[in-house]
Amino acid sequence: MKLDSGTVYLLIAGILFILSLLKDPEKTKKAFINSGKVALTVFPVLLMIFVLMGFLESFISRQAIASWFGSSNNFLGIVYGELLGSFAMIEPAAVFPFAGFLKQSGAGYGAALGFVMSAMLIGITHMPLEGQLFGMKFMIVRNLVTFLLVLGIGTLFMVVI
Amino acid sequence: MKTTNSSRTAQQKNPWARLIRSAVIYINISLLIWAAVALFAPTHVAIITDTVYNTFAKVIKIIIAVTIGIGLLHVWVTPEHVSRVIGKESGWKGVVLASTIPLILGGSLFVILPLVKALREKGARLAACIAFISAWSGKAPLLPLEIEFLGLRFAVLRILLTIPFAVATGLMSELILERIFGEKVHSTHHAG
Repeated sequence: MKLDSGTVYLLIAGILFILSLLKDPEKTKKAFINSGKVALTVFPVLLMIFVLMGFLESFISRQAIASWFGSSNNFLGIVYGELLGSFAMIEPAAVFPFAGFLKQSGAGYGAALGFVMSAMLIGITHMPLEGQLFGMKFMIVRNLVTFLLVLGIGTLFMVVI
Repeated sequence: MKTTNSSRTAQQKNPWARLIRSAVIYINISLLIWAAVALFAPTHVAIITDTVYNTFAKVIKIIIAVTIGIGLLHVWVTPEHVSRVIGKESGWKGVVLASTIPLILGGSLFVILPLVKALREKGARLAACIAFISAWSGKAPLLPLEIEFLGLRFAVLRILLTIPFAVATGLMSELILERIFGEKVHSTHHAG
């Protein structure tokens, strides 16, 4: 039998699940319900992202995406990746498939990183909650500093990778 | 009639109802895009179907594994555990812990932000709170997914860079908030 990475991960998850079940069945039951909630949150979003990826794939040429995001790993590519990420409004689990799609379509590593980090940390959908919890100054400063420093690690990332 | 009544009360009490509602929205949007393409550009439908099918086939096992893992993580290492560990430490140690430990957390920002708010109320300094949010983006529970789509090198390097990034975001934001906007580094309970 050939073991692909997915099967290995499933095995590890299965073993952890059994260990947890042996240690505390009550907690494991809760974990199982949690997993159900995560699955219900993640799968529909993934479906939408995959449809969107197919849509872009069929209507927009790779050259176009490559030219927008800078095939040659340029600085501006990170900024575009970040801007796209900030408005992406997607679940963390859907961030990586879409970043992979961008990368495959010709975006540079910096753009992929910029997209991932800002989709996680900046997303305009969280701003109202953040402002309400911590105040507008906090929200604005944190988001701006994050945007700026992602640019910094994106540049470092392109050099190192 | 009976069903409408019981479904109304269920919707108010049951968190599943909210999840199902947003799931239905996402599925409907997907089907709508699909249908629109089928209607206006029938030749493109096959590409979309292929992409959806192939990508799901590629990641279905990983996603199930990650889902099980996150479920387990949430009961064995709760976000509250993490914030308790970080809340105890102030100063430098607090910032460093806040830049590393949240790497292992799952969830979305909607879960993390209220958690960090509680951390702040318990006395964590601004830099630690902001570092906490940044470090959460490391997203170690999703590592298998990241490796699959972006490669091992990308994933490991990104997570490693997340740590100094979190420290820097925390300290820089704190400095700006304190020096320019006059915010307090440590919150006081009477404030606001």
